[in-house]
Amino acid sequence: MSRFLFVVPPFVGHINPAAAVAAELTRRGHRVAWAGLPGLVEELAGPDADIHPCEVPRDLRRPPELRGAAALRYLWQDFLAPLAMAMAPGVERAAAAFRPDVIVADQQALSGALTAERLGIPYATSATTSAEFSGALAGMPKVDEWIHGLLAGLRAELGDPARTHDPRFSPDLVLAFTTTALTGESAAPPQTRFVGPALARRPDTTPFPWEWLDPARHTVLVSLGTANTDLGGRFLTECAAAVRERSPHLQAVIADLGGVLEGTWDDTVLAVRRMPQLALLRRASAVVCHAGHNTVAESLLHGVPLVVAPIRDDQPVIAAQLTTAGAGIRVRFGRGDRHAIGAALDAVLTAPEYRAAARRVQESFRAAGGAAAAATHLEEVATPIEENEEVAPTGQGEPGRS
Amino acid sequence: MTTTPTSDATTPLPGAGENAVLAEVTEALHAVLPEIGLEGTAITMDTRFVEDLDLESIDLVTLTGELGHRYGDRVDFPAFFASLELSEIIGLSVGQVVRHIAGCQG
Repeated sequence: MSRFLFVVPPFVGHINPAAAVAAELTRRGHRVAWAGLPGLVEELAGPDADIHPCEVPRDLRRPPELRGAAALRYLWQDFLAPLAMAMAPGVERAAAAFRPDVIVADQQALSGALTAERLGIPYATSATTSAEFSGALAGMPKVDEWIHGLLAGLRAELGDPARTHDPRFSPDLVLAFTTTALTGESAAPPQTRFVGPALARRPDTTPFPWEWLDPARHTVLVSLGTANTDLGGRFLTECAAAVRERSPHLQAVIADLGGVLEGTWDDTVLAVRRMPQLALLRRASAVVCHAGHNTVAESLLHGVPLVVAPIRDDQPVIAAQLTTAGAGIRVRFGRGDRHAIGAALDAVLTAPEYRAAARRVQESFRAAGGAAAAATHLEEVATPIEENEEVAPTGQGEPGRS
Repeated sequence: MTTTPTSDATTPLPGAGENAVLAEVTEALHAVLPEIGLEGTAITMDTRFVEDLDLESIDLVTLTGELGHRYGDRVDFPAFFASLELSEIIGLSVGQVVRHIAGCQG
């Protein structure tokens, strides 16, 4: 039995895969605890989760108009760095109270990696998106330098200044919740393990009017994720219009957190605040989304091709991975209208190569092992085979944990 | 009904060399990003890649490749982009790229 402390940022998309891995570790008899924002972690990891509270910056909302490099600067300078500083005392208290064998540090919750290295606790990186090793900044070395400068400052405050590795990548284990069938050639460090998506087993109890789905028509799911409510109005309206123009053979379920479609519920368009996404994916023919890593991965895990309109952060990178893999089409979030969205939908629904490509990624995801594979890799960090030297050898196959 | 196209009087016209480069850059944009729907958008020296054209850094890399094909060794595009600070990438305009190209040719 080993003890794993998960350090997570206050982002749904980062906590969900961690919760799936944590559940698998618990099932195998290990002890799991969390350091993060209590209410959100409890909601996603379950009421029995052992949660050590961390402070987070009060204002979690980024000015929605920021895109591109401006969004990147804000994310690192005005969000991730203050987040690391705010969370660090809570992470340290959690480590003192729980005494973990391994810290599982989300790649964006830098307090996890830095506290671990300062306290000398082994840590693994949980990379819930693959953008950090996509080489997206390869042509802009000064941006990369700027990020490294910021990380060095955080390390001086929170970490072990004697260490030199990039704290976003544990030297022992980086868990990537994707596969190279989607990422293509990547700049991932050799200690990266591609485990594919890790989905929670907890049933999604979000209510849905299943009788609304028309088996004679294709169902399209439209979602801009949980972090883009302020921006999506125009795009969602254009999506609804594109589907309406094709109502004889299409219908759409639209996740409308901001209520811009005012609860539309007619024969062709159903706008809901929340949808049971995984259950709906089994019935869906296509997904339109912002190219958030989790939505893309969940769609492909169900073999469903996508139309993506990346907004910012890792999304343009994930969108490029998707189109390179052949499993979807990119449209412009800011400029894409009903004609562009409609034409892209027509293509992914009628040209068989998109679905075939989605199925290839689906197969690679299934083969990668998901939460179970992630748990096995974490067990290896908790009981490294090399440390046998301290124990008198008693035979082949020690330490025998599998 | 026919309308006579008028030039955008509010934008300072680039110099002759820059004018040709602007046309070339505009063509390169259309060539590599046909899906962007630029028909209704005049590309001027003031057009910003991110805010006005909805391009991402990943698109700029694609554009760099296309411009590289068009200008060959005369302009070192990777070096130009590599020289940009984060604050310069934010708000990068077509004019900055055009002036750089025109400067290399002059």
